[in-house]
Amino acid sequence: MKNNLIKPITQEFSEYLKDESRITGAAESISFPRTREDVVTIMKELYPKGIHVTVQGARTGVTAGAVPKGGHIMNLSRMDGISAIRKDNKGSFCITVQAGITLSGLRKQIKDRNFDVLKWSTESRITFEEFCKAPEHFFSPDPTETSATLGGMAACNASGACSFLYGPIRRHITALKIVLCSGHTLTIRRGETFASGRKLDLITDQGHSFTVYLPAYEMPKTKNASGYYVENDMDAIDLFIGSQGTLGIITDIEVGLMPFPRIVWGICCLFENERDAVVFAAVLREQLTNIAAIEFFDRDSLAILRTQKKENPAFARLRIIEERLNAAVYIELHCDQENLAIESLAKINQLMIESGGSEKDSWVARNNTNRDSLLFFRHAVPESVNMLIDRRKKEDPSITKLGADMSVPGHRLHHVMSMYRSMLDESGLQSAIWGHIGDNHLHVNILPHNEEEYKKGQALVALWAAEITKLGGSVSAEHGIGKLKTVFLTMMYGQDHVNEMAALKAVFDPKGLLCAGNMFVPLVAER
Amino acid sequence: MKILVLLKQTFDTEAKITIEGGKISRSGVSMIINPYDEFAVEEALKIKESLGGEVTVVSTGDDGVQDALRQALAMGADKAVLINPGTDDVDEFTAATVLAKAVSGMEYDLILAGWRAVDDGSAQVAGRVAEILGIPIAKLASKIDVEAGKATATCEIEGGTEVIELPLPAIITAQKGLNEPRYPSMKGIMQAKKKPMEKKGLGDIGLDAGAVAAKVKVLSVALPAARAAGKVFDGEPADTSAAVVKALREEAKVI
Repeated sequence: MKNNLIKPITQEFSEYLKDESRITGAAESISFPRTREDVVTIMKELYPKGIHVTVQGARTGVTAGAVPKGGHIMNLSRMDGISAIRKDNKGSFCITVQAGITLSGLRKQIKDRNFDVLKWSTESRITFEEFCKAPEHFFSPDPTETSATLGGMAACNASGACSFLYGPIRRHITALKIVLCSGHTLTIRRGETFASGRKLDLITDQGHSFTVYLPAYEMPKTKNASGYYVENDMDAIDLFIGSQGTLGIITDIEVGLMPFPRIVWGICCLFENERDAVVFAAVLREQLTNIAAIEFFDRDSLAILRTQKKENPAFARLRIIEERLNAAVYIELHCDQENLAIESLAKINQLMIESGGSEKDSWVARNNTNRDSLLFFRHAVPESVNMLIDRRKKEDPSITKLGADMSVPGHRLHHVMSMYRSMLDESGLQSAIWGHIGDNHLHVNILPHNEEEYKKGQALVALWAAEITKLGGSVSAEHGIGKLKTVFLTMMYGQDHVNEMAALKAVFDPKGLLCAGNMFVPLVAER
Repeated sequence: MKILVLLKQTFDTEAKITIEGGKISRSGVSMIINPYDEFAVEEALKIKESLGGEVTVVSTGDDGVQDALRQALAMGADKAVLINPGTDDVDEFTAATVLAKAVSGMEYDLILAGWRAVDDGSAQVAGRVAEILGIPIAKLASKIDVEAGKATATCEIEGGTEVIELPLPAIITAQKGLNEPRYPSMKGIMQAKKKPMEKKGLGDIGLDAGAVAAKVKVLSVALPAARAAGKVFDGEPADTSAAVVKALREEAKVI
């Protein structure tokens, strides 16, 4: 059969050779399937020929998970439909989307309640009418890059600021459809298929049953996106979420929605002393329950914003941050009653003062317009850092942004924070630290000027990975291992457990062709 | 220095406007201080911080407007006055008559307001209030300096700026760029709950429904025509580019 889905790579597809990691790979062919059947067709065509397949969504990942290493690129961005809505047994709305829908597209359709229901079943249409009358709902996972696809988010167990309260996307995925290398499909609904200890029996939609043995490691008890999710008696669906495309191609995803809280307030607390901000964040999470996000920005992040505001008109609407202020903590308060929100505010204010802050140094955004400009502040930091690095990269192409994305157990927060600070200060490298301090998960970014600094930074990140492993943390809490952090995964779990992961993959992908190179070097049992 | 700020509550600037039953629907829309009035509030607070005094925010509308007034109190205003006109049928005449009458019973050295509201954009109310009160007005200020007995406003005019000196009391309206309105602090929000919010009816300020009856009658409300959907050309680049050129020439008639 001549397959016209598969096109040779030409100049016009060159952008598909790289992703947000800014690493460029190589490939010979590319496809843009529109349906699950297309995906099956492509796999049946390529797999027997021993051709590598790298699956892509919107290529917003920062660890090169979507960068091809030869062979074929399967880009799912045209599979962007919404196919069904239902109510689960708890009365929550669940919607089924194709893997290529973007987060921003999904959010907009949920907000406007504007779905293309033409091809939906009668049941879905009836539920949709009910959904239209229901109070506003939302899908909580909120990575900064909203052009990410749901498939990509599922593949790396994406999270975001509000994952502090609502958890990563894993908690919101209720069903998956997965195309396997063989061309068979797996349908897994949460709560239906469980492992027995570490042994998991699966059966494809076509009736082929097989058994996989899950690796024996214990996952760190922190926010984590490193390696396969495994635990005793686990739900089968969790194995595939965060598997970085290595086991099969996720084509359809059902996600649960939640009623949107009536009150969403953004609060920015500014501190003169960075340590006070860290102390504040740590006590805050222990004492309040209706906080959705706790985000931290260090002095260098604030300094970068001050420069941007001065030099770049696109950032002119940033708030002025006085020079005396050296750290900020952004809090998002979600609740259903205003009096509860005010009570929380009083508590937060008190904690801020007790932690060494001043009650005049807080900004509260109570309406959407104000909150949007606070969110602009939050998103401007990573954006500015990327712009800065892109500028420097033009002068010295050997450098790129160096980012650590590690998390530690709660009581280790102060320890890692002072480790980052002292080692960075000692190194003399430019850096910026921000991120999800509520989950003990900071994005520590090193901004090298030249190759020498780049190498120095790389060495520093490796030292941190070793220390974080000792502390029982995760070497990647959010971005995933991809192709850039495989060394750290081995550091975290040890070679034996990485071998177990490779053996697990080999059951699904005996030739080691699917998204090869993500997380570890695959076994090649037969070719 | 006693400063009054005339404030209107408007739709959140991000709100999606829909029409139901011939009227603009307010359901599901969050309300904010008119952004230009927010500049006025900020300027009043700055003047108070440098010269001392008191800032009172004044508005007309139903109880829902308290939320916008509380926001101004949270930013640092000292008290709020809300006059309920007892009707939804409010035009610029109604608003100006009510506000001028309310203000005439209060002490003030300076009145600030936004140069227009972002909802109806009429830009009339402050001017009418000045006329009724018989005090000078400077509009579209991007800079305001106040000293004993006089104010100097730098105002935007077509092609340049105009510097206007006004004897106090006077009204000055705010243009974008005057300042950067502050966010309320947590403390500010908690304090706002305890600050005085005076609620009055028309009778309380010596007016009645007849005296404020709107002079403008809205006949109909319509949304602007939706932008026509774009057209997607599917196929091989060589064929589609020819089709695009053909459509631009024959359908759109732009080339």
